[in-house]
Formats: sequence, C-alpha cells, structure tokens
Amino acid sequence: MSSHPVKRRRLSPSTHNASPRPRISESDNPATRPGSQLTHGSKLQKAIQTNEVPAVSINSQGTHNATAEFALASGVYKSSFFKLQMDELLNELRPNYDKHFARLQETLRQLKSIIEQIPEKPPQTAWEAEKELRSTHEIAVPFPEPRPGRGTKYSFTYAKPTNINVVGSLSLQNGIKSTDPLTVDLAVTMPSAIFQDKDYVNFRFFHKRAFYIATVAAGIKAAAVKDLTIKFALQDGDSLRPVVVLESVKPGHLSSKVRIRIITAIEDTLFPVSRTLPMRNNLRQFTADESASEGATPFYNASLRSEATVALYHKYIHSNIRKCESFRDACILGRAWLRQRGFGPSYQKGGLGGFEWAALMSLLLEGGGPNHKPVLLKSYSSYQLFKATLQFLAGRDLTNPLALFTAEVSSPGDSPVLYDGKRGLNILYKMTPWSYTLLRREADTTVKMLNESRDDNFDKVFILKTHEPMLRFDRLVRLPASSTGQSLQDLKSYYIIHRVLITALGDRARLIHLRGCSTGPWSVDTRHGQKTAQGYILVGLLLDADNATRVVDHGPAAEQKEEAASFRSFWGEKAELRRFKDGSIRESLVWSDLVTAPSIITQILSYTLNRHFNYTGSDIKFVGDEFDETLRDNGDGIVLYSSPRFQAIHDAFSSLQRSVQDMDGVPLTTRHLAPASPLLRYTALHLESAFKVLCGPVDIVLQFESSARWPDDLVAIQMTKIAFLVKIGDYLQSSGAASTCKVGLENVSSKILNNAYLDITHSSNVLFRLRIHHEREQMLLERHLKDKEAHLPMRQELAYALSEYKRQFVQAPRLTQAVRTLCTRFPLLSPTIRLVKHWFSCHMLMEQIREETVELLVARVFAQPYPWDAPSSIMTGFLRTLQLLARWDWQQEAFLVDFGGLDKTVMELIRTRFSAWRKIDPALNTVSLFVASDIDIDGVTWTQYEKPSKVVAGRICTLAKAAMTMVPEIEFGLDLKELFHASLAPYDFIIKLRSKPLHKASTSPTTSKSADRREGLLASGHTLVRSFVRDLQACYSPNILFFHSDGNPGVVAGLWNPQILQPKAWTLKMAYSTSPANLENIEDSDQVVINRPAILNEISRLGGVIVDSIEAQG
Amino acid sequence: MKKEFEIAGYAVLPLQLPKTSSVKAATHYMYLRAHEPRNPDKDTPRSMFIANVPVDTTEAHLRHLFGPQLSAGRVERVHFESVSTKKNQAAIPQALLGGGVSKNKKRKRVTTDELESQLEDITLPAVWDRPLQKSGAHAVVVFVDQPSMEASLKAARKAARKVLAGSGAKKIVWGEGLDEDRVPALGLERYLNHSQAQYPSRGELLRTVNDFMTVFEQVAEARKREAARKAQEPDEDGFVTVTSGPKLADVAHEDEARELIEKQKKKQEGLEDFYRFQSREKRKERQNELLRKFDEDKRKLADLKKRKGSFAVSLLASLCFSVIH
Repeated sequence: MSSHPVKRRRLSPSTHNASPRPRISESDNPATRPGSQLTHGSKLQKAIQTNEVPAVSINSQGTHNATAEFALASGVYKSSFFKLQMDELLNELRPNYDKHFARLQETLRQLKSIIEQIPEKPPQTAWEAEKELRSTHEIAVPFPEPRPGRGTKYSFTYAKPTNINVVGSLSLQNGIKSTDPLTVDLAVTMPSAIFQDKDYVNFRFFHKRAFYIATVAAGIKAAAVKDLTIKFALQDGDSLRPVVVLESVKPGHLSSKVRIRIITAIEDTLFPVSRTLPMRNNLRQFTADESASEGATPFYNASLRSEATVALYHKYIHSNIRKCESFRDACILGRAWLRQRGFGPSYQKGGLGGFEWAALMSLLLEGGGPNHKPVLLKSYSSYQLFKATLQFLAGRDLTNPLALFTAEVSSPGDSPVLYDGKRGLNILYKMTPWSYTLLRREADTTVKMLNESRDDNFDKVFILKTHEPMLRFDRLVRLPASSTGQSLQDLKSYYIIHRVLITALGDRARLIHLRGCSTGPWSVDTRHGQKTAQGYILVGLLLDADNATRVVDHGPAAEQKEEAASFRSFWGEKAELRRFKDGSIRESLVWSDLVTAPSIITQILSYTLNRHFNYTGSDIKFVGDEFDETLRDNGDGIVLYSSPRFQAIHDAFSSLQRSVQDMDGVPLTTRHLAPASPLLRYTALHLESAFKVLCGPVDIVLQFESSARWPDDLVAIQMTKIAFLVKIGDYLQSSGAASTCKVGLENVSSKILNNAYLDITHSSNVLFRLRIHHEREQMLLERHLKDKEAHLPMRQELAYALSEYKRQFVQAPRLTQAVRTLCTRFPLLSPTIRLVKHWFSCHMLMEQIREETVELLVARVFAQPYPWDAPSSIMTGFLRTLQLLARWDWQQEAFLVDFGGLDKTVMELIRTRFSAWRKIDPALNTVSLFVASDIDIDGVTWTQYEKPSKVVAGRICTLAKAAMTMVPEIEFGLDLKELFHASLAPYDFIIKLRSKPLHKASTSPTTSKSADRREGLLASGHTLVRSFVRDLQACYSPNILFFHSDGNPGVVAGLWNPQILQPKAWTLKMAYSTSPANLENIEDSDQVVINRPAILNEISRLGGVIVDSIEAQG
Repeated sequence: MKKEFEIAGYAVLPLQLPKTSSVKAATHYMYLRAHEPRNPDKDTPRSMFIANVPVDTTEAHLRHLFGPQLSAGRVERVHFESVSTKKNQAAIPQALLGGGVSKNKKRKRVTTDELESQLEDITLPAVWDRPLQKSGAHAVVVFVDQPSMEASLKAARKAARKVLAGSGAKKIVWGEGLDEDRVPALGLERYLNHSQAQYPSRGELLRTVNDFMTVFEQVAEARKREAARKAQEPDEDGFVTVTSGPKLADVAHEDEARELIEKQKKKQEGLEDFYRFQSREKRKERQNELLRKFDEDKRKLADLKKRKGSFAVSLLASLCFSVIH
C-alpha cells in the first residue's frame, strides 16, 4: 500500500524547503500509513510538478505559438472563440493556490498540533460526556436526533486521531473562486479503537462521531487560536454529520475569504461494505416507525459509508488528475456549470457538488458506457470531458441503477444510483428524484446548446445564472416547514409532498421541484435545532402550457373499483362521478374557470395541500398568478390569443380578403391582401373599443398584380394610389362589405411618402386601414438615391421614404405573419408580449419605441429560450424578457431573433450590417438599438430614426436592470405593481392633461358646427392626445424628449437634451427657442441659452384646454 | 447712450408671450435683420430675415406685429422655413419626375418648365388649418417696398431698446389684439379640425388627382417631344447621333447588366479546381482565412474582456444578482 503514486503533502514542515513553491504538504492516505508522510514527500511533489507542466502551458495563452494553439483550438473545442473564452474563464476561476497555501500554512499547522495534543479521554456514558463538555468547555455536543439518553449502553471515548490531512478541492486544486469563502477541508481520521463492530446501526456511529467532533471543538476552543471563531455546521446539510467550522474574525491573518472545515473520517475497513449497501436497513429499533415500511435506509447507509471513503476518493480523484491532464479544468467547468444552475453538495440543493462531479468524472474514465467501456478518455480535452459527462447525465437514466466494478446493485425508491463498487458508495446518494430530473433536463439543454452550430452559447452555458426560481419555474409555491433539524425526517416529508404533488398535477406539470432551506453554522454552545428558524419548502413547477388550464380532469372509470377508490381517497369530496359525452361514467374533477377564481393550478394545489397536509390558504404563498392578473386587468380582460375578440378581428379580415379578391370598377386585380397590424397577430395590448367601432384601425396592405400602367414617377404613384383608394372604397360600400369608407391623408408634408389610406368600417364593425403597396416605388427610390447630384436634404428625404416603404409594405406584413405563427406555436407568447407592452407603456416609453421592437424582444425569449425551455407562463416569459434587456449590451451587440431561418450565414450578414451601422453612426444618432431577424436582416427597420433614441435605449435597459433587482423580492411578497409603477422624478417637466377636454369644448361658444365633429372624436379620446404629443415632438425634437403612454394617459413628461442647457454662441442651426445669455451686457457676447419658460408657454398655448398644468422639476 | 441689443448682427426683439391657464407669461426673443441671401433676387432689398420665430407664428401674426403693433411697414408676404418655396425645392421634382429625363435643362423649352411648376402647384387638400413652425425656425418677410422694410427694422430696434433698457415701456405682447377670426385657433379646436380635414371629400380628392394627372401627362408629352427634337439637333461638330429605337430606361440597363453578370458566373462554375495551382491557392486561402478568424476571435475576446471587466467578475455579479436562498 505504501507505494501509492499519489500526491502527498504533509502538515509538518517539509524537508525540502528549497522547493520554489512553498506549500504545506498533506497526505491523502491517512488511513493506511500514518507514519509515511515524511519519507516520500519530496519525490512525489516533484512528480506532481512535472506533471503540472503541460497542463499549465496548454492553458496559459502566449506560451505557444499561434499555430499550435490554433490547431488545438480548431479541433477539440466547439469553436476557437469558444475555446478562447473558456481559457479565459478557467484562468479567472482558478483560485491562486500558492497564495492560499502560503497564507494558510501556518494556521493549518497550528490546528494540527492543537488537535494532536488534545488529551485522550476514558470511556464515558453519553450523559457524562455531554455534561462534562458542557460544564468545562461550554460546548453542546451536536448529537443528531434521536439524542442518546441516560439509557444509552455504549460508551464514548476520545483518542488521538490516526492522522490529520487536508483533503478536497484545495489540495486537489480543482476548486473555483466564488463569493462564498474558500473552504479548506481538514479531515481528522478517528482511530478505529473507539468504535465497536455494531456501531453502524441505530445512529451509534454518528453519536460517537458527534462526541468526537465536540471534543475536537473543545480542544480548539481551549487553545484559543487568535482571530478564529469556532462554530458547528452540517456537512452537506446532513444532520448526521456535524462538523467544526473555523472562520477568521477579521481580515488580515487569514483572509476573510477562507473557511476551514474540520471533517471526520474513518478507516476504510472499519465497517464491512456489505453493511452499508443501499438496500440494508440499519435503523432497526425504529421498525415500529413508518420508515420501516420501506425497510432500507439508503441515505443513512451512504452517509455512514462516505465517512469511510474520504481518503479513498481523495486518492482516487488525485490519481485521475495525474492521469488525465485536463481533468482539473473539466472539474472547474463542471463546478461553474453546476453552480450557475443552483446545484450544491447539500441534499437541499440537489446533492451534486464539485466533489460529486469529480468523482463522477473519475468513474466515467473507467466505465459507465455500453459494455462497461469508459465514457471518458484521458486524452480528452477539458471541453470534451465536460461535454461527455453532460451527455452521460442526459442520456443515461440512473434511476435504473448503474453499478461499476461490481455486480448489480438494487436500490429502493426512484432516486438515481451510480454505485461505485470499489469504494462501496452510491455517489449520487444525496440526489432526490426531483433534483435528478432537473439535473437531467439541464444537462440535456446544455448538450443541445453545445451542439448548436449557429451560436457558441458560451455565455448561456457558463456565465448566465439560470437558477433564479422566478425565471426558471412557471409557478412557485412556498410552504412553511419548520425544519426538524433531522435530515432523515425532512427528506421523508419532502418525498411525501413530492408524491402528492405529482398525483395532484399529473400532466399539467412537466416538472415538480422541491427545495428546502439549509441551516447555517451555529454556535458551539447551543444545540442544533434549538433555534428552529422559520423554514420553508419552495416548490417550483414547470407547466405544460397545453394542459395546465384544463378545466375537467378525467379519473378512472367507475367499473375500475380499485383505481376509483384510490382516486376518491386522494381527492376526497372533490371527486365526482360523472357521465361524459362518450357515454363513459368516470370519476372526475371539475375546476373553476371563472375570471375571479385563481388559476386552476392554484386551485388544485391549495386543495390538495390542504387535504393532505392541512396547509391553509394563508400558509401557502403562490407566486406566478399575479402576472396573469396584471395582464387581465390592463389588457381588456384578455389573456390568451384564442380569445374570441382576437378571433372576431381575424374573421372580419378573412371576409374582407374575400371581398377584395375581385372588385368591379377597379382596373387591376388583387394579388394579395396582407395583415400588418398587432391586432392581427395577437399582440395588441388593447383592442380599443372605440365609438361605434369594435376595434381598430387595423392596418392592412393591398398589393395589385403588377401592371405597366402605373406611372413611372413617385409623386404620380401617390396620386394614382388615391384614385385607386377612392375606387376601392366605392366598390366596398356598394357591395355592402363595408358600412363606410373614407380616404384619409397622411405624411402630407412630403410628396413621395405614402400619402393616403382608406379607412374601411367593415360590416362586422371592425375598422380597417388599407394602404396600397406598389413594388415599383422601391426601385424608383433606390435609383434616385444613387443619383449623386441630389442635394443632402433631398437624399435624406429619399432615404427616409425608402425606410418607411420597407417598414410599412415589406416588413410589417412579414413580421405579422411570423409573429402570428409563433403565437400559435407558443401559447404564452401573445400574453407575454402584451404584458411587456404594458410594462413599457407604464414607464411611458411607448411613444419612443415601436411596438414591433417590443414584440421582437419577447419573441427571442420564446424562439431562442436557452438556457431554459420556452416559457410556459407569463411570469417566466416576462421576467426573462426583462433579464434579456438588462443584460443586453446594445451598443456593442446586435439583437438577433430566429423565426426559423437564422443560420450562421444569415447571422454573419446581420453582424456585418450591424458593424457597418456602428461605423457610419458611431454616435448612435439615428440607430441605437439594432434588432434583426432572419426575416429582416437590415436590423434597423423598427429602430431607425430614434425609435428609441440612445437616451431612451439606455433608460430602457436601466429600468430593466432595476426591475431585475426587485425580482427576488416579488417571491417574498413584493407587490407586483411596484414593477409597473413609473416614477416621474427623473423628468425635467411634467405636462398634466385634462382628463376630459372634450367636455370643456362643448361649453365653449364655438360649437356651431362641432357637434357632429365631436361625435367622431369622442371615438378616439386619446388619438387627440397622441396628435398633441406628435406635434410637440415635431416642433422640439431632438432637443426635448417627450414621454407619453396610454398606460399613463394624463401625463406627458419631458426631458431637455442636456447638451443644450449650456450657453452657446448663437447660430442659425439651433433648432430651439433661445434667449440672449447675458441681457445686461448683450453686446459683449453672442451667447444664447435655451429659453425654457418661453417653450413651456408655447406648449401650453399649443395644447389649449388639453393642458391642465405644466410643472417644471428640479 | 444708445445701447444696441444685438446678437451676431441680429437685432433682438423681445416679445411677451401671454400667460395661459397653465403657465405664467414668458418672454420670447426674435432675431431680425435685413435679408442677405447668397443669391439675391429682386425681392431681396425689401425682405427681412427673422430667426427664432415662435412655433405658432402665422403670416397674420407677423403682419400684425409690423403693422398695428410696431406701426411700421406693410408686409406683402411671408416665407416660412418649413413651407418649401418653389425656388429652393425646384430640384426635387426635377429629379423625381420621370425616368430618363436628361439633367440638361438649358435646352428645354419654356413650356416644360411652366408645366412643371404648374404640376408643383397641385397639392393635396391641407389637413391642418394652422401649420406649426419648428422651434427656433426662421422666416423671410417680404415688405411692400424697401423703405417699409427699413422702417420696420428700425422700429423693432427702438422697441427692443425701450423694453430691454427697462424704461417701463409697454411690452409687445405676441398676437395681442389680433383679430381672432384671422387665425385659426390652437389647442383642442385645431385637433378637432384636423381629424376632419384628414378625410377630404371624395370630390375634392378626385379633382386634385385628375388635375395632377392631366398636367402630368402634358409634362410627359412635352418631354418626349423635347427629347425627340434634341436627337435631331446636330451637336457642336455638326453630327447627329443616330440611335435605334427608343432609349432604354436606366432600370432596364441595370437589369440587363445584372443578368449578364449572372450568366458569366454560371459559366465559370465548376472550373475552379481545373488547375492544380487553383486548388493549392484555395487551400492556402482557407488556411489563411482560419488563421485570420482565429486572430479576430482573439481580438473579440480582448474586446469582450475590456468591456465586461473579467469573466469571473461577471460570473460573480450574476451570482450576486439575486439573494441567495
């Protein structure tokens, strides 16, 4: 045994101080060779150092020439850029071990000698032992429940540890930096002499272990190491295994970022492996308890067994680090990946931490594949190791136990089993069925991300934190659960809740996840569990969007007596026997789908939780329904796209489409009538029910078959369009398809923009706004643009006309088609878009950003949902959109949306356009946000011409960031209204509008002819306000920004452009009202300054009775 | 002492904006001077250039200001910045009209120009009864004669002196005493009118369109004639260029050229690996491309690092992002 080729470090000063890297040395083979540390340290350390050389040089950039690195990068990694980012990440994540060693060496050595000098204790009864430690050292022995009492037969002894070693990530150097302190594990091997053969049953081992830990704690406490606080904590949240935790009080001596954990270990051979197999029952005295029903005590057994394998695994992982040079880096990647997904070593956090990851990879290097072939090869790169491990997790279902190096292992329950026969431990013993399901889902998603050739997805695999519950789960339920302080008990209750929820929700939920809260360290003089903090269980649900809203559940048929009985016993009085249309008589459940009722998921959960666990309504906190309610309250009561009101508009459109197919009296035949309105793609927040009209105006675009009879001139084309519109109107009115038709004018200041539209009040009372698309316009505009002789204002007008043409006639119909398809594919897309629009509207941004841009932002969350699945609730959709906005570095990155055809070449095209825009407009004056998709690779269709301006774009992202910081608070009961509440404080002035200006007008004397006019206007109260705001923008842009939204109808807020507030020399180009800066001394300077009072006065005069008051702020 | 209130050579005229129901009265400053355009015309001597007019300025306002309020010259007409005068916009319709029109206007007969200006005059019905000016906009006021322009400028200077020197003289109030019937109202009334005016009557629309199309056809006809005649005229050396049939429009040319290129491409397809040097070059190119891409990636990473600080930091930041449960 003494020839283990293992890295060994000793705690005692080493003999080779000349070594360039001073580090403490430690041994990993404490159980077998206590005295061997001194002899082989130097030789092996050298071996380790030489072993490290290639690993380091591969990962440090610049040591190799570019070609070698390039060859490496292009072959074994996803892409060279991925590899570069990964190297960078690894470098950043690798803790500086030399520094830590140097700093820790002294403390660790001191601790070691303290522990070694703790005097041995003769056998004591539990009572005596506890009493003595309490009275002399003020230490409460952290006995796990049930605590040993007076009747305990066995005695408690303390003897000097067999050895003391540093184990775990610090000595293996496979840890990562994090916000948590760096944990240094000091394993104290308890001598076998203090245990008896039968100690593996009935907590006897754990009681003795607790006593041992307490004595060690007492010894350290007595030695009073400077600046260290001593506490008890649980190892991996497991109440059977309390440990001593030492933290430095103040930075300096020990960095506050380091925590020393004293854990225990036993000799490998102390208890036979056969005693701790998963199927064994080692808690015999509790057979009367219900736990006996299952018999086996896998968690207890594994917990015990893992004490014996501390050294074994340390050694094992270390040997793999030596064998496989990228093992360490793969461990770092794995740890980072797990951490971003919220997995941790404690069973509450999923039971999969860095150690388990390393052990898993080690095992996979030896087997796990088909025919016991290894899954991993030691020649793999770190990326390949990482990916293959994930592939294994995603592909192999371990609830069907997998045993390595041994025959079949049977296991109770549905938890995953990966049994390591050599060391006798199921390394996944802390994983629960739900955390395992979640892990596999995550692994599956990540493998998909890594396989995607389009994107490197690096950010989503390693950087983005995916475990924020409100972004991850569609619904959250928080149940109060006072922790009993007993892991076995807690686990059992989790299992029961989980089982009930699974039965209750059935196919409504795709995944049900439970998370308990773990207990932190506690003071050594109190008993654990005395301060039972108000714990809770957080249940996260991933819903099935199609089934979640089903009103009636069908149970077993009445004839199936047994099933029916169990159905009845589960559901109680809620179960009803019903006859269905197909004649069958079945047990069934009927839930309420009234608007006033909470969502069906909530109804089911509150009913079953109350029935089975006596939770009352006030105990349970549901998170998720509020988002649906917010939308219902603010979106005309409509939540789903299948609402009859959306349907009505579609029907009207189809009927109109038929009417225009062949029109008498119109000289050209129709090619296509295309929808181009949010009302026709399920994304309008309001289905404005205006006066006499159901909703509208609904934009539609008509295209005729091409004809040579169109004039070849832009102005004449507009005139011809008007003639056509009049004709179409005449036809529709005479054929009875429309009740009224009138031609309206727009963009009258320009002769080459689209000048006219036709307002069609359809017979079904939907108001359509029809424009004619003539494809020749584009060619004419482009040709004139190429004409170099044209002067600048004209070129600008032409460019504007061209972009308007593309937007109105090409992109709007295309987007409508694409979004409509996506809405039917993802039922939650439509409500999410509408809620996000409401958010924008509440923050008065809707005048500044086109709603199409908003739709694209949300569409990406659904179309490219990685690292999650597409949202199945408004909550996740909404919050992920905000998160996307908060994380979007819009100045440097293009926003790409995939409508089904976004591949690498398209992305390349889009990126080229993006960088071209940034090059010609580096000040972001016309294009700030760049939002492209595979159906619109220009990317500026919806955002050009200051939609939004850079100030507003920045503000949008700031607001999203602020909202994201509030998200965790929502989970704890923050009112959702806070997210939708806009503060008026940041604006320079506020224009308050009269709520009912029209009433005022009716009293004015000029009403002679306005009676009928007003009638028409009552229809659109806020189009009037919108006209006013547009006027203001036209007069004062770009020097004043005006904010207004339907969500905040009574207010228009304004911001001065900060650049114009300083006095400047007067020029003709100043597009704002000025006053001389210095009236007293006017001839001295030509300085002028913006005349704010005069501008506000003008605004007030423009608005007349519409304006109630204007307040300047700050 | 006579104090001249001037800014960059412009006389400063303070105007009081009356108080409204929502804000206090404020002072607006208009800047005036004699009109000095780069290309003066016959109206220039009697024109005044006004900068920074209030947004609600109308011709009536300026007439009222120089007439009753300053009791100086009589205004003949006003050109606003936002309303395009025929002169400076002439280039637009020229270029926009028709496909193959030559830019050489010299040889055109006067009738074509006349027709074009006629075409220019045909506009759609107005949708606003009172257009607004952009903030800080300027206007050119043409007076009946030069003395009346000069007198007005003088009167404005005098009034400004009085007001600015604080001699307690009566302030000039913008639009005060202006007959309400002469300018359409602002505010609600204006928007109500607009909502009606944007739907002109069917007859009015059709009339405009018909007028336009008639003139448009005449213009096209005239142009065609002109082109035909031009083709007959001998050039400086006395030659007549003979062309076969009508000249193709630019667009047709473009289409043709594009087709030609396509054809050429198709021809060359499949011939890339004909010689060994071609495939060798290709391989080399691919390698270089990969290397270049690698360098680019490296640069991208450095850029990313610069922007985001460091990975670990962003990683930690995203960790801290939410409260640890």
